[in-house]
Amino acid sequence: FRLNIEGLLVYFPYDYIYPEQYSYMLELKRTLDAKGHGVLEMPSGTGKTISLLSLIVAYQKAYPLEVTKLVYCSRTVPEIEKVVEELRKLMDYYAKQTGVKNDFLALALSSRKNLCIHPEILHANIVVYSYHYLLDPKIADLVSKELAKKSVVVFDEAHNIDNVCIDSMSVNITRRTLDRCQTNVETLQNTISRIKETDAAKLREEYRRLVEGLKEANVARETDIYLSNPVLPDEILQEAVPGSIRTAEHFVGFIKRFLEYLKARLRIHHVVQESAPQFLKDIYEKVCIDRKPLRFCAKRLRSLLRTLEIADIADFSAITLISHFATLVSTYSKGNLFVTNFGFFLYSCMDPSIAIKPVFGRFQSVIITSGTLSPLDIYPRILDFRPVTMASFTMTLARTCLCPLIVGRGNDQVAMTSKFETREDFAVIRNYGNLLLEMSAIVPDGIVAFFTSYIYMENIVASWYEQGILENIQRNKLIFIETQDAAETSMALEKYQEACENGRGAILLSVARGKVSEGIDFVHHFGRAVIMFGVPYVYTQSRILKARLEYLRDQFQIRENDFLTFDAMRHAAQCVGRAIRGKTDYGLMIFADKRYARADKRGKLPRWIQEHLTDGSLNLTIDETVQLSKHFLRQMAQPFRREDQLGLSLLTLEQLQSEDMLQKIAQIAQQA
Amino acid sequence: MDEEPERAKRWEGGYERTWEVLKEDESGSLKATVDDILFQAKRKRYMFEGHGQVRLGMMRHLFVIIDSSRSMEDQDLKPNRLTSTLKLMEFFVEEYFDQNPISQIGIITTKNKRAEKLTDLAGNPKKHIAALKKAVDGTCVGEPSLYNSLNVAMQTLKHMPAHTSKEILVIFSSLTTCDPANIYELIKTLNALKIRVSVIGLSAEVRVCTILTRETGGSYNVILDESHFKELLMLHVKPPPASSSSECSLIRMGFPQHVIASISDQDAKPSFSMSHLDSTSEPGLTLGGYFCPQCRAKYTELPVECKVCGLTLVSAPHLARSFHHLFPLEAFQETPLEEYEGERFCEACQGELKDKSIFTCQACKKVFCVECDLFIHDTLHCCPGCMQTDRTS
Repeated sequence: FRLNIEGLLVYFPYDYIYPEQYSYMLELKRTLDAKGHGVLEMPSGTGKTISLLSLIVAYQKAYPLEVTKLVYCSRTVPEIEKVVEELRKLMDYYAKQTGVKNDFLALALSSRKNLCIHPEILHANIVVYSYHYLLDPKIADLVSKELAKKSVVVFDEAHNIDNVCIDSMSVNITRRTLDRCQTNVETLQNTISRIKETDAAKLREEYRRLVEGLKEANVARETDIYLSNPVLPDEILQEAVPGSIRTAEHFVGFIKRFLEYLKARLRIHHVVQESAPQFLKDIYEKVCIDRKPLRFCAKRLRSLLRTLEIADIADFSAITLISHFATLVSTYSKGNLFVTNFGFFLYSCMDPSIAIKPVFGRFQSVIITSGTLSPLDIYPRILDFRPVTMASFTMTLARTCLCPLIVGRGNDQVAMTSKFETREDFAVIRNYGNLLLEMSAIVPDGIVAFFTSYIYMENIVASWYEQGILENIQRNKLIFIETQDAAETSMALEKYQEACENGRGAILLSVARGKVSEGIDFVHHFGRAVIMFGVPYVYTQSRILKARLEYLRDQFQIRENDFLTFDAMRHAAQCVGRAIRGKTDYGLMIFADKRYARADKRGKLPRWIQEHLTDGSLNLTIDETVQLSKHFLRQMAQPFRREDQLGLSLLTLEQLQSEDMLQKIAQIAQQA
Repeated sequence: MDEEPERAKRWEGGYERTWEVLKEDESGSLKATVDDILFQAKRKRYMFEGHGQVRLGMMRHLFVIIDSSRSMEDQDLKPNRLTSTLKLMEFFVEEYFDQNPISQIGIITTKNKRAEKLTDLAGNPKKHIAALKKAVDGTCVGEPSLYNSLNVAMQTLKHMPAHTSKEILVIFSSLTTCDPANIYELIKTLNALKIRVSVIGLSAEVRVCTILTRETGGSYNVILDESHFKELLMLHVKPPPASSSSECSLIRMGFPQHVIASISDQDAKPSFSMSHLDSTSEPGLTLGGYFCPQCRAKYTELPVECKVCGLTLVSAPHLARSFHHLFPLEAFQETPLEEYEGERFCEACQGELKDKSIFTCQACKKVFCVECDLFIHDTLHCCPGCMQTDRTS
């Protein structure tokens, strides 16, 4: 139906609307009006996607000069498909209502395999693609640089956006990469000498282009057509490729020298950490490689590959990686470098704001949204931007369909926690086992249990096996385990779903931060309960993390502990959020660690979970948990129809327009 | 868990929040809402039933599958789930034959991944009740098998004539089922045979039951407590609407009169009742009884299927009692209390009208409270207001 949101006519393709969707659109509209950035948290399953799409499309139609393009970034291919599906529905609705043939062009770029760069992208009104097209400097340059300034950029499922930024600016080099690079260099050399004999003019042409061509780029940039490349800041692009690597042979020789240097560096027996300037100084002293040619490595290589007309670029992935590394390390001084004795060479960028800065800088509105973004204020800090709106929405419910419980003690009153000092404690492991056993007897169909790490999971499962707990659990449900192997995991997942479907019941043991915790939904019977064993802190002894924490402390005044807790809680929220994927769904959320009861942890959970966490559900024993769960599951099993939701959590147009409903809606959004 | 010694003592039992049931929810969220929804559902149910002429399957063949797996030892129903269930089942069997005199019932139990027929399809409540009484002492072990028990029931039901209503009611306590084959195939077969499967869950909603009942057109409910359990069970006493494709046919039926002979009567000879032929325990020779109008075989109680000629023998009151299923009392009209301008007392219980809505009989315009409205529709099946006006006029 048609909605009027503060004077904007919005077509909404469904007959009913959730109150929070209305509230969400309201906030979104204000963000667009202010031409600023926004951070919006709304639980999954409440129709975020369609709210975003219908509002922004309506905005585009109403003010075609203000907003020309919508760029919708999502994380995975299935999510992108979902967005396209919703978009199609919306477009059909528009066509039906207005009777005018659709003049909107939408474009979806799914996987890298289907990467297509057609000039039509310039004219598309809506672009849907993965984060990487915008954030990863390697691809962003190809795909996204020509997006207009008046675009609205949406990052969906953005709770991990800082990690994506860091990943896109990090390079991993192993000994194998170097070996493959060596062969690449040899192939290149051969090709060059062959071409030199047959078609020397081509190489000369390239040389000429490198000298001249940059001038054109310069002009384009000044006229504000391109999105600036995060890898190569403007001032560098304005310079020409230095003479020392301009000819093909010289460049290959240069790469060879660089490669030899890297190889030499790997021949050490301890871990070394150094900053980028240190690295550059060292390389200059040892092999006389200057900073400037390094910066142009990536660009020069791309040009060379194009000149040589090499069809299969995938073969040259190793050398491409090395050239990116060279460019990154010489461009950003904030990075860190790690060399280990495993032949492991890592360049890691500590600052997520570098990768995303051009996005915030260029586009007029950037919306960051997800089901779990609490606490909201930390994202602007680590990504270094100023939002005009920050809001968290709750889920309006006709019945309380989620039941978060914090279990802190076993029946023997021993505290349950995955704290480092006590995690190997026999009593703790046994209590965790008892909890799972008791839950397996009362929760129907599927249970998903998350551990803090693979090692911890292995230890616990081995210990349960010895104590005979596993055997008892298997009487109630089958057990499946997520492993680091992707094929094995998807197999386990498939069988798990089958067991949930046919009534045998199953438990999936998996790991927070793993594949299951991030991308896979457990709707309805696939996840009636989620048990989070312990607080999923990141491995704190990692050097990369340490460097990052140090950086956060120095640059943004974020205390280490705050960041670690924030990171742990967002992953915990992601894990438990897997179970509730909509209003008709229901599920138990069990936090099995007494530390969750503390205010600093609890307060960092998303608001829609927090508001159902009463004092009566903190620090429970296993028995109490079982009783509460039984009660909850029986309540939820009572028939629940759509009519019961109407007027409470599902509205028709008339209901939406009533005065007291609008007042209620005003309370849904909480400004941070 | 089953190695544990029997948990007979209350203080050894699990931690329970018995006060939870009585608890008043100050935030008014969970319990109040769910109860409200339940109440609405209850009203809707008979509203639906009262909807004109619905064809009902009066001749029912019902198999009750009782889960006897390990989970039946749970003590959340007193004294445990098994005892409580069997007790309610006895009551159910009696009510069932009371309301459906020309129907049959059979009982199947499942434990240890197997299914076992406790009693075959038969029309005599006594035999079933005796079997149920005996089953209380049985042990509860292993897992149930939904597939096996449905299969056992299906083997018998598929031979039943098409005009009868074929039903299965599963009382399912466990949350897991151990099946030898794909149950979805079986569901398809059940659907093809037009067998309705309904499930009453004792613990929580299980996916496979949801599918099973949805596909076969049955109902699926999960109990909240013992009284709710009884309520749900009693819903199955009423005959379900017949599927439009089921055949119609006329059934021969005998209505024997009870003959009372006194000893003084010279012609009266004591004789054996046919129903006592196979049971040796009861005394045999009696004077009076019901005589089959076709073959003169004698029976001491009705309803029964004649052992000699196969005629269904019922008494006229039995049929009369089934009558109200076909012509249910019209639903009363619900109006908010504020809009009602009359004396605020309920016609039936004479209590003051305090709830937020009142109910008016469409025929006699008398006013009733919620409780009486439910009682009239669920139990009485006729409006006391109308009865009174009938008599006075």
